[in-house]
Amino acid sequence: MPKHDTPLMDELEKGPWPSFVTDLKRQAETKPECWDILGQMELSFKDRITHWKHGGIVGVFGYGGGIVGRYSDSPKQFPGVAHFHTVRLNQPSSKFYSSAKLRDICNLWEKYGSGMTNMHGSTGDLVLLGTRTENLEPLFYDLTHDLKQDLGGSGSNLRTPACCIGSARCEWSCYDTASICHHLTMHYQDEIHRPAFPYKFKFKFSGCPNDCVASIARSDFALIGTWKDDIRIDQDAVQGYIKGDYKPNGGARAKSKPFDIDEDVLALCPTACMRMKDNKLQIDNKNCTRCMFCLNMMPRALRPGVIKGASILCGAKAPILDGAQLATLIIPFVEVTADNEYENIIEVIESIWDWWMEAGKNRERLGETMQRLGLPTFLKVMDVTPIPQHIKIPRENPYVFWTDEEVPGGFERDIREFRKKHAQ
Amino acid sequence: MALSVDELKAAIIEKATKAPKPQLYIKDFYACDADSKPRVIKNVANDLVKEGKLMFWSSGSTTMYALPSRIKNEETRPQD
Ligand code: SF4
Ligand code: SF4
Repeated sequence: MPKHDTPLMDELEKGPWPSFVTDLKRQAETKPECWDILGQMELSFKDRITHWKHGGIVGVFGYGGGIVGRYSDSPKQFPGVAHFHTVRLNQPSSKFYSSAKLRDICNLWEKYGSGMTNMHGSTGDLVLLGTRTENLEPLFYDLTHDLKQDLGGSGSNLRTPACCIGSARCEWSCYDTASICHHLTMHYQDEIHRPAFPYKFKFKFSGCPNDCVASIARSDFALIGTWKDDIRIDQDAVQGYIKGDYKPNGGARAKSKPFDIDEDVLALCPTACMRMKDNKLQIDNKNCTRCMFCLNMMPRALRPGVIKGASILCGAKAPILDGAQLATLIIPFVEVTADNEYENIIEVIESIWDWWMEAGKNRERLGETMQRLGLPTFLKVMDVTPIPQHIKIPRENPYVFWTDEEVPGGFERDIREFRKKHAQ
Repeated sequence: MALSVDELKAAIIEKATKAPKPQLYIKDFYACDADSKPRVIKNVANDLVKEGKLMFWSSGSTTMYALPSRIKNEETRPQD
């Protein structure tokens, strides 16, 4: 029996798509607090304002993250959601679960929470929605002791690192994303579980520029796989695509007309660095930006080169202040190998942190600090020599600044002497 | 010269007690000792939480620190 009238929410059950309202109603048969979620959402729709209060002191002992406090601002009307805290679980790298593990997590959440989950939150965590404060410690005990799983990050912590499926299943991966993601998750346990920074900090790892975890848009530190040498070309397979033996884009290209390599690939290369000569595909690799477009279109014919690694980009963020921002390329190529336990990557991360912890303002994402103090300052801190790729429109930008050390003799000058010579 | 851990703890508690704002960001504690690295100050503040002398308050996206007696607790505030 519905506990509240929810005509506005019921509208969301119409149409051909799965509906979370239907899911909530079904869940309410065993978890009556779900009626109060629907009731409170109905009220929010009517009032056009949220009735959730965010934040609080909730957490588990020894941790300063992983639980996000949520309270209803109308607990008398909706007692089932008076407390409705969110629990973030650190997902396994590349999100490989056994079905047994997923069942265990669901059973645990039926025992201690509303049974509702969000698979997965935008940070990557497996998100359990809705529990009361008194359930947190017992839940955490079972989670860590029986399921051998841990909480993820929240607040001003390092957020749960996330990666694409990478070399585990993807032929394009230029490094082992799951391996570094797991390694850094273990290496930075303290930073994940306890606040460490002026604000949140996110790592994301994509094995190639297709960037399936959207690291360029969502992380303060994005490691995106790339290669240094030439795209590998299988000319027979190129002919196969031209003849129609293989489906372009893995069959995902719209079939309104037959595949035409000139129109469908060469003309769409963003740097126009491809051409057909004597019926052979040629790529001017110096001008290729590794955008992946042609590899996606003709995966049998084209593969990344063999000198593989990653680019480091910094400073993406969502639009809370000053609008959304994509990450900026900082280091074009680094090797990514477990042989040195990712020491070179850790070194870069820690120099960013040392600077941002001092220079960043309260609640300022790395990208905002970079924007406020300027890319030249950031490059200097990172000890990176500027390259044309750091400059917006490098061929047109007339502003070239030299520092004292870069100019023979420095900038020391006697201004009076100078004016004597140059007086009008 | 940087303060010792015990001196830093005392300075942080003093700041948390006297600051007009009851809840403080980690950066607000940096001023407790200009010679200590932010990472050291963060570790000491987090130790004070472990000892029960400070508490975390988190909005979900940011975390603040406060004395248990000064913190905003939704569960003990009078409700509607
Ligand atoms: S980002 Fe690249 S390597 Fe990773 S899963 Fe996507 S296509 Fe594959
Ligand atoms: S990867 Fe992109 S830039 Fe490079 S050749 Fe292919 S389409 Fe052109």
